[in-house]
Parts: sequence; C-alpha cells; structure tokens
Amino acid sequence: MRLSHLVFLLLLAIALTAGGALWLSPDGTHIPIMAALRGQLPDFERQLLVELRLPRLILSFSAGALLAASGGAIQSRFQNPLAEPGLVGISGGAALAAALALQFGCPAPWVPVVAFTGGMLALTLTWLMSHNAHDGGRLILAGIAVNALFGSLLTLLISMLPDGSLRTVTFWLMGSFSNADWPQARLFLIAAPLLTWLLFREWRLLNALQLGPHSAFHLGFDVRRGGLRVVVLAALATGLVVSNCGMVGFIGLMAPHLARQLIGGHTRRLMIAAPLFGGLLAILADWLAHSLLYPAELPVGVITSLAGAPFFLWLLWRNDRRANHA
Amino acid sequence: MLEALGAGFSVRGRRLLADISLTAQPGELTLIIGPNGAGKSTLISLLSGLRHPTEGLIRLNGIAPQTLSANKLARLRAVVEQHAGWQPGLTAAELAMMGAYLTQDTTGDWREAMRLTQCLELADRRLETLSGGELQRVHLARALLQLMTSTAAERYLLLDEPTAALDFGLADSLMAQIRVLAREYRLGVVAVVHDLNLALRHADQVLLMDSGRGIAFGAAADIMQKERLETLYGVRLAELVSADAQHRAFVPMQNHAN
Repeated sequence: MRLSHLVFLLLLAIALTAGGALWLSPDGTHIPIMAALRGQLPDFERQLLVELRLPRLILSFSAGALLAASGGAIQSRFQNPLAEPGLVGISGGAALAAALALQFGCPAPWVPVVAFTGGMLALTLTWLMSHNAHDGGRLILAGIAVNALFGSLLTLLISMLPDGSLRTVTFWLMGSFSNADWPQARLFLIAAPLLTWLLFREWRLLNALQLGPHSAFHLGFDVRRGGLRVVVLAALATGLVVSNCGMVGFIGLMAPHLARQLIGGHTRRLMIAAPLFGGLLAILADWLAHSLLYPAELPVGVITSLAGAPFFLWLLWRNDRRANHA
Repeated sequence: MLEALGAGFSVRGRRLLADISLTAQPGELTLIIGPNGAGKSTLISLLSGLRHPTEGLIRLNGIAPQTLSANKLARLRAVVEQHAGWQPGLTAAELAMMGAYLTQDTTGDWREAMRLTQCLELADRRLETLSGGELQRVHLARALLQLMTSTAAERYLLLDEPTAALDFGLADSLMAQIRVLAREYRLGVVAVVHDLNLALRHADQVLLMDSGRGIAFGAAADIMQKERLETLYGVRLAELVSADAQHRAFVPMQNHAN
C-alpha cells in the first residue's frame, strides 16, 4: 500500500471516529449538528461539546499519536519489534510517583508534574543500570527490572492506601482520558506535534539502524548520541502521556506494527503512519471505554490491553514461526 | 593515503592483531588474503575507525580515525561489512539510498551507484526476495553512493569479503568492476577476499596475513609465491600458467601437506 493511500484512509477513519465521539452520546441521543454549525446550540449541549468532548478528543488523539511515535522510534532504535516506550521504565516510575503524590496529599494540578519527574527518574535509573550500553538488549533488560521494581513498590503502596484513593490510583494504572480539560488539551496541542516532528526528524538514523549499529556508524551516524536523543524524546513523549492520562498500554506497541504491516519498514513512512494509527486507536478505545458499560465508564487501558495483549501474543507466535521457517 | 603503521589490536589480553603495516593509495585495489582467523575482518574494523588500535597507528589521510566524528569519517570512507544486516520491508533502492543519508540528499545519484555495481535491475525488489549475492551488490551500491556524495579528494572503500556470496563469473566481473571504480572515482579500495586467483588477477597490491600478523605486503606477482602460499594454507598447490603466459592460477592438489 502506498503511504498516501494509507494516510488518506487513516484520516478518513479518524474524521469519522472523531465525528462520532463529538456528536453522538452513548445513551443514543446526539447533538443537533445543523444547530451547532449555525451556532444556535443550547448552552448545555454547547458546554458538553466544547468543554468536555472536544478537549477529551484532542487529549486522547494526541496521547495515542505520541505513544505510537515513541513506540515506532524505540522499536527501530533497538531493532526490537517487541519494544515499547513503557519497557524502558517510564510508565512504572510515573505511576509510582503519582501514587506517592496522592498518598502525601499533593494538590491535584501538581500530580502530573510529579508523575513526569518520576518517569524521568526511572528512565535515568534504567540508563545507569544498563551502563550506557549502546546495545538495546541491556537497556531493555534493565527497563524490565526497573519496571518490576516500581510495580511492586506501587502494589505495596496501594495496599497501604486508604480505600478512597484506590480509584485515583486505578486511574494511573489503567489510564483514562475522562479528566480531560482545556489546559491539558492546549498543552498536548503544542507538545504532541512538536515531539512527533522531532522524532520524525530522526528517520534517517532509525532507518540506518535497521542495518545494525555498526553499519549506522559507517554511514556517518553517531549511534550513541543519536540513540540517546531518540530515547530521551520518546521518554519525554511517554512521560507526558503517562503523567496526564495514566498508563494506556499497548498503543505504542500496536500502532507501529499495524503501520509496518501496511507500508513496510521504511522509517520515514513509519514515523508518519504510526502516529496517525496511534491517534485513531486511542480515540476508538476511549469511545468504547465510555460507551460499552454506559453510564459506567471503563478505564481506557482496559480496552487497549484487552485488544493489545492477544495482539502481542500473536506477534510473538508469528515471529517464532518465522524464525522456525527461516 | 590510508596507512597502518605497526598496528595491533588486543582485547581482554588476547592479541588479535600485531604489527600490521600497509599503505593504500586512492585509485588502487589492495586485497587482503589469509587463512580463516588470520584477523582480516579485525583489520578492516581498525581501518574503518570502528575499533581503535591498541598498538601502532592507523592514519586516514594523515589523521587518526578515532579523532574524527562519525560524520567526518563517513565522508572519507565507506564500509561493507561481511554480515551487513537488513530488515524486511525495504526495497533495494531504499537500501542503496542510505548511502546518501550523510548529505541529507534523499535521492542522490543512487541509480548510477546501482548501475555501477550491477544491481540496478533489482531497484524495486524487496530485500527479503534477494539472494545473498544480490544483497551484497546492493550493499556495495550503498557504500559507493556514500563516497560519490562526498566531496573529499581522497576517499576509501573498505569491503569485507565482497565476493563471498557471488558465483564464479560474477565474483570475477564484480572484482574487475571494483577495480575500474577505484580508478575512475580515485577510490582507495581495501578488500578481504578468500580466492587467491581473484587476488592474482585483480589486485594492485596484496597483504598476506597469518595468525594476526602481516607476513608480506606488495605487488601480487611479487609476493604470491607458491611455496609461501603452501606454508600459509597448509596445502600443496599446483601453479598453472596460461598458454600466453598472461594469467597465473593456483589449484590445491590432492595430498594435503601435513
């Protein structure tokens, strides 16, 4: 499939899903479109649209795009199709920091900041544990160890939390876009295109790395420094998402793979298609999360994990079969 | 000029290379031959700046490669590794174009590079459909393009067994083509080969290696003598000379010297 065709199809699907998410309510009613276009919407519906649904749509789309862009970049950086940004320890660190902040009564607006710092600290820890190794294997192993450590600390903390905080901690663990507001949406409107573009700019390095780190060096790339740049950018993007929306799993893994299936492994195409796929998956998952059990709302991470875990297994199974036939 | 001056390389107390000296000039084809495990690939990695010599010196146009950035180094030399990696999903042309990444010129003259390395007809094929020999030529095109886009006056092409996966005829024609490229583009080509007769036919100069040491360096006709090669490979050789006395070749004989 050509990139332009895929981009067209993705944009169409995004427009349809976004339209649905904006105009349709899970209870079967919908906002009168014509009235909205004429600017004659009743106050209640206008508020629903502008103050709740629009920022939520912006937040979920850009979070999905950021996760997918980081996932695509991290997979290419380490030539490991099973890598995702969470694997370098960021999600675990951010979630633990958020839980700690809640435990010690940190004011709500500051929780994302604390979570972000936690994610970056976890990344630094992973980095130090892997001895600045160039090869991805050690970094990912260290990331798994850091994630496991933070995960168990988090469980410990949860078991000590008063019952009321449990729901808030679940928010960080399973992810949700339901708290979206305009300050967040504005932040993501600036940060998401910027970070996605900065990651996209690395496509030459990422493509050269497909030949292995030595060949990338021979082609003129400083693999250590360039690789660090990619990891830090991906970490910033992931940290930003996790600290605002919690751990929305598997989008960073699935979106780049879907893109690769359709347009091949060239990273210039991948870094365009993957974020669009990620955004689409995120708004779809969010829509399902709040309409499936309406009026109750599921954490969006439940949907992405329900879809993502079997996908991951299928990927492993297929890689295995490929290796056996090679 | 690309030089090794008494270069050696040790890793964890093991001496892989010692006392290697050679000089490669732009426009010349220098071939490295020697038995398996002689340290030929290690020498290529020292010349390319990937590894740094632990003894002696490597000089690339008079400069130690380790003092140059990856970017500057890539304008002076291109490398095709023995087991260059690749990922499915790319086309041959997209792999060749990587040679132009350095200059951020996305198109480059990749068609010319692929034509010169006899693989232009593969341009639209996906890498996973290529044979080992076809893939090797695409990697060569990629390395050639890297040097074609550089404006440096003296450039070098380092090849680790460029003919390993090629058939008899293709190996010979590609080596001949590499020699032509060396002349036309003023490239100093240093390549590892296993086929003695390929070296005899095409090399301007030859480095013979054994157990991590350089045992002879010079014009092929001068240093590729029957007795020396017999000792080096531990096999008895017959030397054949064509009727017009223009071509020489070595053939291993049945009873191995042991």
